[in-house]
Amino acid sequence: MARDRSQREDYVTPLRRLLVGLLCLCLFAFFIVWRIDNPRVERFRAKVVDHVVPNMDWMMAPVTGTINLLRDFQSYQRLSEQNQELRSELRQMRAWKEAALQLEQENARLLDLNNVRLDPKLTYITGVVMADSGSPFRQSVLLNIGYRDGVQDGWAAMDGIGLVGRISGTGKTSARVMLLTDPASAIPVVIQPSGQSALVSGDNSISPTLNFLENADLVRPGDRVITSGDGSVFPAGLLVGQVAQDRTGRLRVRLSADYERLEFLRILRHHGTEVINDQGGLIVPDPDALTPRGRPQNLELSQEAAPSDG
Amino acid sequence: MASAPQARLWMMRLLFPVLCFGIVFAHLLPLNTLPKGWAPPDLILCIALVWATRRPDYIPTLSIFFTLLMVDLLLYRPPGLLTMLTLLGCEFLKSRVQAHRETAFMSEWLTGAIVISAITLANRMILNLTNTEQATLTLSMIQMIMTIIAYPLLAVFCQSVLNVRKLSPSEADAMRGH
Repeated sequence: MARDRSQREDYVTPLRRLLVGLLCLCLFAFFIVWRIDNPRVERFRAKVVDHVVPNMDWMMAPVTGTINLLRDFQSYQRLSEQNQELRSELRQMRAWKEAALQLEQENARLLDLNNVRLDPKLTYITGVVMADSGSPFRQSVLLNIGYRDGVQDGWAAMDGIGLVGRISGTGKTSARVMLLTDPASAIPVVIQPSGQSALVSGDNSISPTLNFLENADLVRPGDRVITSGDGSVFPAGLLVGQVAQDRTGRLRVRLSADYERLEFLRILRHHGTEVINDQGGLIVPDPDALTPRGRPQNLELSQEAAPSDG
Repeated sequence: MASAPQARLWMMRLLFPVLCFGIVFAHLLPLNTLPKGWAPPDLILCIALVWATRRPDYIPTLSIFFTLLMVDLLLYRPPGLLTMLTLLGCEFLKSRVQAHRETAFMSEWLTGAIVISAITLANRMILNLTNTEQATLTLSMIQMIMTIIAYPLLAVFCQSVLNVRKLSPSEADAMRGH
């Protein structure tokens, strides 16, 4: 019996080893290909995710819903406290609302006076968060909109208030948003009011770090951080958050977007920043034009009218 | 004659991908999008190791290959690397099954812990060598330690609920008889 077993193993073991070796070689080759030709493999990954995760949605939605319901239920215990807090907050809010209305009117008046046009190209698509990255090492979410809806890599994702991240990888019906907290995320920003430009790079913590500041002395905690549009990936002027200082004295950004519950995200359509290439031609008078120009006929009339006007 | 054990064998073989799918599903639920300061144990790796130690016939190499590759792709990890390391770890454990059959649980856990640490370190080293950006060392260490702690719990779970036990020498001989 013992001899029989050893014979069997002698025959099977090398084959097994060969199989394992081959599989490992394939896997390592796949990893190396991913490292060398990242975009192609990531596109493949996006395609796989696009096939699998939306199919899980029918299961995910009820489970997520139930868990959120239970969480909400727990918060019922603190209902009366919350109620009082809310009431006092509401009183404050009323005062603010009054102030905001006045400011809005003033703003509208000023915009009208200056003839300002807000960028008409900044339209957005709203997507629902389907899944998160599922790993403690990566910070990203999966949306239920993809290239079928015109989503492109690099577009900015916002919640109602602040920047959340950017599109990184699109499938047909799904797109991945790399959050600002992801270690691979880096966004060029400008800090108001000092106008210093910097880079917001994530490090797997809730507040991303602020790097490559020219003069850190000009920046104070509480300053507003907005995107600068450098590198023409993002539109300029999106709110990111406020500067904060951590215990070690490092400058970080307290994000304005509510990361606790990312449910709906706005994807801003962005078709690149326009670049001015030519240096402006010389402006010359039309060769056929009379020089000097004829005196306008109605000038005397307007001069006559002017004194009576004043 | 062996239809019942055969059916059970194939059911258990199917169970591994199903378990992995369930774990990935739980990971993907968009419940918490805040970055956490700690990392949960890598349950899939742990289950693979426990099963490879106890019943190597329940997780064939190809099953590990396809399941873990899928997990790598879905969980946005560097594809292939962790699959390769897990495969090697499982093969190492499978080759030691004979030695394990009579040993106590402590030494099994120790071997498991060594394999888990080796996988974590090799993963970090290869990522470093290929200059891939990766999580902080603390986070990886937390995950490694959590996985090692989870090993006995999962072993108990697999033994009592899924009935994945080590074979006694006589049973093993009977299995080989087929």
